[in-house]
Amino acid sequence: MSDPQNTTIAAAALRRSTGSILRTIGLEIARPAAAVALALVIGAVVIRVMGDDPFLAYSTLFSGAFSGTANIVATLQNTTPLLFTGLAVGFAFRSNVANIGVEGQMLFGALAAAIVGYYVRGLPGFIHLPLAVAAAMLAGAIWAFIPAILKSKLRINELVVCLMLNPIALLLTGWISSYPLKAPGPTNKTYDILPTAQFHQFSDLAQFNTGFILAVVLLVLFWLIENRTKKGYEWKLIGQNPVFARYGGINVQSSIVQVFLVSGMIAGLAGAEQALGVYRAFYNGFSPGYGFDGIAVAMLAKFNPLATAYSALLLGALNSGGIVMQMMTSVTRDLIKVLEAVIILLLAADFAIGSRRRVRRERRGLPSRKPEGRIHP
Amino acid sequence: MSDIFNLGLITTIIRISTPLAFAALGGLLTFKAGILNIAMDGFMLVAAFVAITIANLTGSLVWAVFAAVAGAMLLAFLFGYFNLKFRADIFIAGIAIGMLASGLTAVLLKGLLGEAGVFASNKIPSFPQIRIPFVESVPVLSQIVSGHTVLVYLAYLLTPVISFVIYRTKWGLRVRAVGENPDATASMGINVFRLKMQTVVLSGFFCGLGGAYLSLDYVSLFSRDMTSDRGLIALAAIFFAQGDQLRTVAVTLLFGAAQALSVRLQQSAGIAPQLLQVIPYVVTMIALIIVGVQVWSRRKRVAAFE
Repeated sequence: MSDPQNTTIAAAALRRSTGSILRTIGLEIARPAAAVALALVIGAVVIRVMGDDPFLAYSTLFSGAFSGTANIVATLQNTTPLLFTGLAVGFAFRSNVANIGVEGQMLFGALAAAIVGYYVRGLPGFIHLPLAVAAAMLAGAIWAFIPAILKSKLRINELVVCLMLNPIALLLTGWISSYPLKAPGPTNKTYDILPTAQFHQFSDLAQFNTGFILAVVLLVLFWLIENRTKKGYEWKLIGQNPVFARYGGINVQSSIVQVFLVSGMIAGLAGAEQALGVYRAFYNGFSPGYGFDGIAVAMLAKFNPLATAYSALLLGALNSGGIVMQMMTSVTRDLIKVLEAVIILLLAADFAIGSRRRVRRERRGLPSRKPEGRIHP
Repeated sequence: MSDIFNLGLITTIIRISTPLAFAALGGLLTFKAGILNIAMDGFMLVAAFVAITIANLTGSLVWAVFAAVAGAMLLAFLFGYFNLKFRADIFIAGIAIGMLASGLTAVLLKGLLGEAGVFASNKIPSFPQIRIPFVESVPVLSQIVSGHTVLVYLAYLLTPVISFVIYRTKWGLRVRAVGENPDATASMGINVFRLKMQTVVLSGFFCGLGGAYLSLDYVSLFSRDMTSDRGLIALAAIFFAQGDQLRTVAVTLLFGAAQALSVRLQQSAGIAPQLLQVIPYVVTMIALIIVGVQVWSRRKRVAAFE
């Protein structure tokens, strides 16, 4: 639903009956649902090949994610970082800005939050916490500025740059938390942050904290920005049709930088939630790849901020249930990574090529395949 | 200093650079065909896993290497098919293939080999060292050139072969043409899809050799995510050399030297490992920026001329 021609399709759809609009919505949901279902089937085959019982593994996974308060809270806790990273990736992808450097931006965000959370002293909570959060956003934006400026000024492919910046971020934050700013003790982490900079944890059951509320508010906020503001429309337009956007008077290059910076800020928030809410310090290598999970989350949600809530919950539940599955059965939680990979592959592909749909579309004079070089599904 | 800089260091650099060289050879083919192959890490990881599994099962190195190469080529085919046939974005598909390889090998490591992190076994044979007859009697040269295993020699001997294939054969010409201008090539009646697919699957072949070397020769074990971004670093080397194969292999040796030094400096000079591991990535970033500035200034000159 991205290329300009699709706008015509949307207009045509509007002209038809409400029934067909409902059918369109059904198709919108059908494809991600089919991708998830197929991924689960492939996962089951893998489990079967290893001589384990797929049904047992999946039922353990499901109950591990949803049965009992403790598991549900753990699922929500696992969902929270994915809400941020899914939004960060989706927001950028929607503008055809391929920010796959969310992982690195998140790491620097977390580190900045932990530093401000410990070294800045004597402030009341209502100033200290926002300050630490702002530091995280700033750090994420700064790290995102590197690919942004290289793309807009020198036309260097942002994906290659991000691919390099992620390991650099991991190694640099790892070094900082292991050497110059390391707290005494066996683990490589920074000093515990002060209570004034902490996100409040809801219960003793898990590290589920008020960062979750921030994430949900952010999703709604971004839905409003993208659909109700001029700026949001411009950001969307440079992804849908950069040429048209330029003729419409939008400075595409500076919009790209803006999108990168905002995406980096959201990524920084993901780090803030982890450092200030979950771990209360920066732990070296704390992230199991939330930034990359964000790609799957964003693609499942088709880059829609509100739908991100559902897809993040799905992957959060898989991650959370996966931990239980690993404890109870001989299937490790790495299976979730396999499922995620299959989902991304299936959603990135365009299976319509060579199908009846293509023939129909060509007859109507519509393009049969999506333009190359776009990341939209 | 003598415990850091000695002849042993050169041997280490050659051995440490071998998987990078393999991946770089495969990456060069796809690079020439205009494909940014970021899935090579995944190909190598799968190959490394298949190699150790088959070697453990059969005790045969030949079968293990064959199976590893086949596994990597299969994954490469999947990657190519999704990108070229189903039009999946190359980076998204590449990241997904990487995740698939990482997740699948980790799941199977536990499920098939029964280990959570590292698998090693005394059933796995090791490659014999090849002594080169005449070189063997020359003092310094013998230590550097002689006494490696067959895969090491293969990696460096394949470099001129690939160079020949790319620049001196009809197929190589077509690959380069596809990379330069796929539409013009297609108008000449050349099947662009098939040609690009061939380069992707061939990159799987080389990564398969690299992966097998990694788990069977360089170390005799498999550990989770053991390729540690080697495919990515190889791609970086290609970028740095701007697609020239001899320079690419030279750059892989340079990156290998940085890696080898990082191990030694860590042991004796006490430099933090992260600061040394970060070198290849930073070097690549700088290279990307230099190339970008060059292209930018050229474009500017052209614009001024017009």
